[in-house]
Amino acid sequence: MTEQTAPTEYIVEIKGISKNFPGVRALDQVDFNLLPGELRGLVGKNGAGKSTLMNVLTGIYPSDAGEIAIAGKPFSLMTTTISRQMGIACVHQHSQLIPPLSIAENVFCGNLPVNRIGFVDWNRIYRETDERLSRLGLAIDSRRKVEGLSVAERQIIEIAKALFADARVIILDEATAPLPKSEVEMLFNFVRRQREKGVAFIYISHYLEEIFDLCDTVTVMKDGKNLGDYKVANLTQADLIRLISGAEVERFKHTSNARDAVVMEIQDLTRPGSYSNLSLTFREGEIVGLTGLEGCGKDALARGLFGMEPLGSGRVSIKGNSYHASDTRQAFNQGVAYLPRDRHGYGIVGLRPIRENVTLPILADLVNPTQLLDTRKEINLVTKLTQKLNVKATSIEQPVLNLSGGNQQKVVFAKLTSTNPKLLLLDEPTQGVDVQAKVEIMKIIDQLSQEGAAVVVISEEIRELLDICDRIVVMFKGKLIAEFQTNSPDTTVERILHAVEGTVQAL
Amino acid sequence: MRLNRDKIIVFLLDNLIWVLLTIAVVTFALLSDRFLTSKNLVNILVHSSVLGIMVIGQSFCQLSGNFDLSAESILGLAAILGAFVIAPAGAPFFGSGLQLNPILTVLIMFVLGILVGWINGFLVTRMKMNNFIVTLAMLIIIRGLTLVFSEGKTITGIPQGFKALGHESLGPLPISVIVLLIAFAVAFVITRYTRFGRDLYAIGGNRDAALASGIDPNRRIRQVYLISGLMAAFAAWMELGRLGVGATRIGEGMIFEIQAAAVIGGISLFGGRGNMIGALGGVLLLSTFNSGLNLMMVSGFWIDMIRGIIILLAMLIDAQKTRYKAPVTSQAAVVASESQGL
Repeated sequence: MTEQTAPTEYIVEIKGISKNFPGVRALDQVDFNLLPGELRGLVGKNGAGKSTLMNVLTGIYPSDAGEIAIAGKPFSLMTTTISRQMGIACVHQHSQLIPPLSIAENVFCGNLPVNRIGFVDWNRIYRETDERLSRLGLAIDSRRKVEGLSVAERQIIEIAKALFADARVIILDEATAPLPKSEVEMLFNFVRRQREKGVAFIYISHYLEEIFDLCDTVTVMKDGKNLGDYKVANLTQADLIRLISGAEVERFKHTSNARDAVVMEIQDLTRPGSYSNLSLTFREGEIVGLTGLEGCGKDALARGLFGMEPLGSGRVSIKGNSYHASDTRQAFNQGVAYLPRDRHGYGIVGLRPIRENVTLPILADLVNPTQLLDTRKEINLVTKLTQKLNVKATSIEQPVLNLSGGNQQKVVFAKLTSTNPKLLLLDEPTQGVDVQAKVEIMKIIDQLSQEGAAVVVISEEIRELLDICDRIVVMFKGKLIAEFQTNSPDTTVERILHAVEGTVQAL
Repeated sequence: MRLNRDKIIVFLLDNLIWVLLTIAVVTFALLSDRFLTSKNLVNILVHSSVLGIMVIGQSFCQLSGNFDLSAESILGLAAILGAFVIAPAGAPFFGSGLQLNPILTVLIMFVLGILVGWINGFLVTRMKMNNFIVTLAMLIIIRGLTLVFSEGKTITGIPQGFKALGHESLGPLPISVIVLLIAFAVAFVITRYTRFGRDLYAIGGNRDAALASGIDPNRRIRQVYLISGLMAAFAAWMELGRLGVGATRIGEGMIFEIQAAAVIGGISLFGGRGNMIGALGGVLLLSTFNSGLNLMMVSGFWIDMIRGIIILLAMLIDAQKTRYKAPVTSQAAVVASESQGL
């Protein structure tokens, strides 16, 4: 299915690019070719190497091996300056424009023209920006402030800005993620008009429907490799999903430890703007997957249950008692623990040793009658927990910052288990850890469920959820829309992914 | 090889204060034969005592990632207020004539310190204002209030009993020095062996992670400002005893010395790192410098400049610590951002 075209025509020609990060081979001999005026989708799971490849193309990361040619001109070492000069530009999910400034000021940012006496030549800035915008078919007043624009308009302005700087290849990195559906079409129409003038686009997205809507061709990446370039017309969405998820190298298969006793019961829980009418039951020893798109309410539910955000109205009980947590301390005290998705932001205190990190939530239990910490008890407890979870470190006095991602995550697990939780909420527990550590973390989750805790794994990694969970609950726009038993033969990655996109298929 | 070199550098940076103190003592002893006399050494310790009490309060703030720039002004206002309520009225005393009993006077001073600390904590945590600006504004407000209150007069006639804390000795050691050592011992135990202390390190190290570990960072920060205010009021009592009079300018400019001592002693400006033993070393070093420069008859103008240089050096060391501990950190950050960004 791989396309063949005469090599001289390529605007971008990437040959054999490799890139290593400590402990990770992020790119492995990747080839990638792009024609002028082509609309190329770039898809793959988190960590597949999409962003790394684009960062190598734009010169942000130097590659370890390989060559990049732009418009037939080869470069062995790409830099941000060269890539900009050669007309490569990137539009990110989060706008890089300066909101309080006008469109024109943003366009001329860093290069404001001055008049004869050295003052900024405002007339020229507005006049030229208006002219350029109208040449792109945009009727928008360049005096308007960026903060007054819609998100799609901002992205169009960013693309326009790149085009004014003679961009020939524009990378759209998850550009539609913050957009409402109506604005996506507006952005796509603009993109289609520009491609007719020969501008090539690389569109990175998790939204596969949009790839089919916009792109001519699609490149699938997995584990740092390019699996192939495909014509979109020859593919179905199911084909693409199969290509993206592929077969795992190493798999952990969990067998259910679920018992009958209910740990938490949620009835008619509603928080306006986040979720509505949720009813869920979590049982002892059960591992429940909670999945859905960004913003579907799954993260909000976890943080609400942990007392970091308001939980909303409805009835929640834990082991038969009414549950209410207005802060994290109350959540811990009632047996709820939460593993944050952002490990560096919320999980660890990197400067401090493993020992201090692990015992943070339970210091109250470690003080003797004089209110001083019983350090011997503390050391014993931390040693026991770190051994149980197989934390690899020189000693429990090592700062957590100096550990690998997987071991940092195990320290967070040790911290949570020190509180003897009845319910564990794990938000993307395997994010940012290598393949081996992933398996180890799944074993830890399994072990915790064996010991009787109810575990909720919040993740967008469907395949991992299938391996570790007893059932998977899918949220879409704040509502529960589907539930899958993982041991049922009807449960497939494809069906779950369709549910994630909001379409529940009948069998 | 490289790893070893880095380890040595990190070790030296962590214990730098004792290296610097040794160098300073040896240098001054060589330059002046009056430096290593018992009288001078006691003087250094006495100067250390007021500074040290202030540094304890400031260290608690800094460990939690906050500043209390207003501490020196609390010391100033508490001193003048204490002198005012305890001294007789009229010239040459200029007191209120209330001649309150010493215990009540101390209580009034403590209430003042706690009150200002409460306002600082309230504004920083409940009103979500920047701690640097809040305490800077408070510094200016209270300095102004002190001037209004004292009208520039010097209050005398403070009774001996009240002055004992900063004035009397028990055997060879002044009471203030004994109190200082006890205070640092208590502060050391608090930071290392209590929940409160652990919470401070966690909050200063990563406030969000502390929150996600069941700690209420805002409550701890309010407590820290109360302690800082209280320590300043206590230092005011000591300073009144040492000087014997209540003057408008007590504590003026001291905040720089306080922060320099804490930072040289290893209490990071960025929070979450440092210990009270190091902080005591920082206090001793600055006091040693003061005494040494005085003995060498260095002009006051130069002393100010040298102090400035010491502060710069302290900040430089703090920044370098972060840099030398960075290699591991930045690698972890790359991997983390990598896996999140993809």
